[in-house]
Amino acid sequence: MTVDDSGLHELRSAVREFLEAKSPEDVVRKLMESEPRFDPAVWAQASDQLRLPALTVPEEYGGDGFGMVELGVVLEEMGRALLCAPFFSTVVLAVPALLASGDAEACARHLPGIADGRTTATLAVAEDAGSWDTALVSARAVGDGRWRLTGGKSFVIDGTTADLILVVARTVAGPSLFAVDRTAAGLTAEPMETLDATRAMARLTLDAVPATLVGAEGAAERIVSRVLDLASVGLAAEQAGGARRCLEESAAYARTRHQFGRPIGSFQAVKHKCADMLVQVELAEAASREAARLAAEDSDEFPVAAAVAHACCSRAYMVAAMENIQVHGGIGFTWEHSAHLYFRRAKSSQLLFGGPAVYHERLLDRLGV
Amino acid sequence: MDDDMQDFTADVRRFLDAHAAKAPDRTAFTWGEGDDSMAYFSSLPPEEDREHVRRARDWQRVRYENGFGWITGPEEYGGRGLTPIHDVVYDAIEAEYDVPDTGTISVVGLGMIGPTILAHAQPHLKDRWLPAMYRGDAIACQLFSEPGAGSDLASVTTRAVRDGDDWVLDGQKVWTSVAQHSQIGLALTRTNPEAPKHRGITAFLVPMDAPGVEVRPLRQMTGGADFNEVFLTGVRIPDDHRLGEVDGGWTVALTTLMNERATVGSEGAGPVGAALSPDRLAALMRATWTGEDRALRARLAELLVDVMATGYLNARATRALRSGVTPGPERSVSKLMYGQNLTRAAHFASDVLGPRMIADTGEWGTYAWSELLLATPALRILGGTEEIMKNILAERVLGLPKEARS
Ligand SMILES: Cc1cc2nc3c(=O)[nH]c(=O)nc-3n(C[C@H](O)[C@H](O)[C@H](O)COP(=O)(O)OP(=O)(O)OC[C@H]3O[C@@H](n4cnc5c(N)ncnc54)[C@H](O)[C@@H]3O)c2cc1C
Repeated sequence: MTVDDSGLHELRSAVREFLEAKSPEDVVRKLMESEPRFDPAVWAQASDQLRLPALTVPEEYGGDGFGMVELGVVLEEMGRALLCAPFFSTVVLAVPALLASGDAEACARHLPGIADGRTTATLAVAEDAGSWDTALVSARAVGDGRWRLTGGKSFVIDGTTADLILVVARTVAGPSLFAVDRTAAGLTAEPMETLDATRAMARLTLDAVPATLVGAEGAAERIVSRVLDLASVGLAAEQAGGARRCLEESAAYARTRHQFGRPIGSFQAVKHKCADMLVQVELAEAASREAARLAAEDSDEFPVAAAVAHACCSRAYMVAAMENIQVHGGIGFTWEHSAHLYFRRAKSSQLLFGGPAVYHERLLDRLGV
Repeated sequence: MDDDMQDFTADVRRFLDAHAAKAPDRTAFTWGEGDDSMAYFSSLPPEEDREHVRRARDWQRVRYENGFGWITGPEEYGGRGLTPIHDVVYDAIEAEYDVPDTGTISVVGLGMIGPTILAHAQPHLKDRWLPAMYRGDAIACQLFSEPGAGSDLASVTTRAVRDGDDWVLDGQKVWTSVAQHSQIGLALTRTNPEAPKHRGITAFLVPMDAPGVEVRPLRQMTGGADFNEVFLTGVRIPDDHRLGEVDGGWTVALTTLMNERATVGSEGAGPVGAALSPDRLAALMRATWTGEDRALRARLAELLVDVMATGYLNARATRALRSGVTPGPERSVSKLMYGQNLTRAAHFASDVLGPRMIADTGEWGTYAWSELLLATPALRILGGTEEIMKNILAERVLGLPKEARS
């Protein structure tokens, strides 16, 4: 299902209004220092009032069946607001992983609970090196029919709170995807200290943890590659939203802050910084929205566009977040100011799926270079 | 697509099939084959240059006679009376065909001066010049910049003094593209030295064969001479050649400048498109055994991200236009990016090629890049410098306070 422009506009206003009420800066600050790093009551409202977790779950599994375009709008708004919630892990990582697995039974078991907000979920691929390359996975699965997982996972988003953890582990057939219940015996999850405290991450230790195979044995490479495309476009939307917010904050400050008897925005060095940020933000929105549109159309051009969006938005957000501090001067460097929250989110998003060296090669690979 | 657009598309294809060959498939590009030219400006000797212009005019005439010469123009002046969307659709389809390059006629004349004449000229001038321009008979140039008035265009000093029914123009214009081929020029002149500078300017349409108009070619750093100095000495222009009000020329200038930004900086096909094509750049790396160089690969990826994102931005503006929404700042952003992308592509190629870009070894696709490299500095200047474009974005889009101005 896709929504027309006025529908998207309505969706955006509804989400923005909700986030302005439920996720203002002081709430973000409180949550990022608490455990869990989200408010279950707000998550329940996001699900009951706005049906956000149901957004991209197909209708046959109790969801609303929307696609990347609608998801992109929601993520832009969440990026602006730095929402602390298990949305990214559940909707942007776990849902596409289940769908890409082609495993109808697993979808039927997990997706309805996700759609109605009862279940949160995440995807655990990276280990201590932080790479999302399934070839580098060393966690192992043994058994047949009754699988047990052993090894470690790191950088698992919302890994201490997710009810369902999708874990990539190696079998004789190659990297495969497994479903693990958070309460399973042998599983421990410890919170990691993070650069960006608004996105909780965990280290998992798996000691013969009972697990269920999701999709075919050896299929994880294909599944993760598909998820990475979709998730990096989702991330790109979140980045574009954050970058737009930084630009707006800078422009507003440059209009009102006076030095030498004039607004600082009338100094060209500041003006041009803001114009450079605008250029980055416009490119970022164009790239992330185009990729989302191509995903929704299931176009052949999607993989290239996804790679462009990931690289373009990573850089745009980083530029915007850095210059936002510069334009604000000393106050921008204080803990009390919001600028560092965006800076932290920008840097951690840029590196989340491996960083520039990885995404540049991904792009060139898709272009046949 | 609605029926009207379907019919239009079919018409366009029928017309192009009858008059042009399909362009070679650009995806099937092979290193070492075909024209390796990367010229942005022409550096042809004068006879060949005139031949190039003749071919452009002929093609424009064929377009016009078949109803595609001025798709958005009003019918009373020879246009087709259709929407900007039809224009976009036509351009997209024409790009699939191998047709003469009409830049000489269309960038300044049809893209910038035509719309200004339509908006501000008296009816007899519209009758006289609009059909002639869009039929390819008349070429127009923009006589705005002066030695002392570039970015600060409102400080023009070329004088126009009233004498009965005429005006007498004296002064010097500079950097005037295509003046050597032009029949008319749109000039900004100072008519009231007492008024604040934006309010003492008047615009005139100057026949380029009027006595006292002298065009002197100005050699560019590329070696060619696409632009000129234009000296105006006692040039008599009837008052009915005035555009807009006396002392109201700044409004006229803004119409031109607005169209300039929309025209300059659309991603070109042809040699410039080739410079930014991933296939071409990849082939360049393979041919020079640099395909595995990690530092170069990272730079290539960064460049391609910008090239492709700029393309998406343009596509978004076009789609907005198609659904009847006025595009936002995309045009100004893409003008800035266009100059930067080409500049970075040329310097990237130079890092790949090394010494093969400083002297011609005769090897295909190597020294040719120097032509583009030498054109890139102009792209950060013409149509508003980078600095001026950033001022515009900051002030008009972000609402930052204006600079202190004299
Ligand atoms: C290839 C080419 C073709 C051209 N064709 C035409 C044409 O057909 N008709 C025509 O009328 N003109 C034409 N031009 C002229 C062009 O519009 C001017 O060159 C341009 O507007 C800059 O003016 P200038 O060269 O006088 O530079 P200046 O205005 O003297 O600028 C010099 C430097 O100072 C900077 N600067 C100036 N003011 C500011 C400011 N307020 N803030 C920050 N920086 C500033 C500029 O950005 C630039 O870096 C052409 C130019 C080129 C290169």
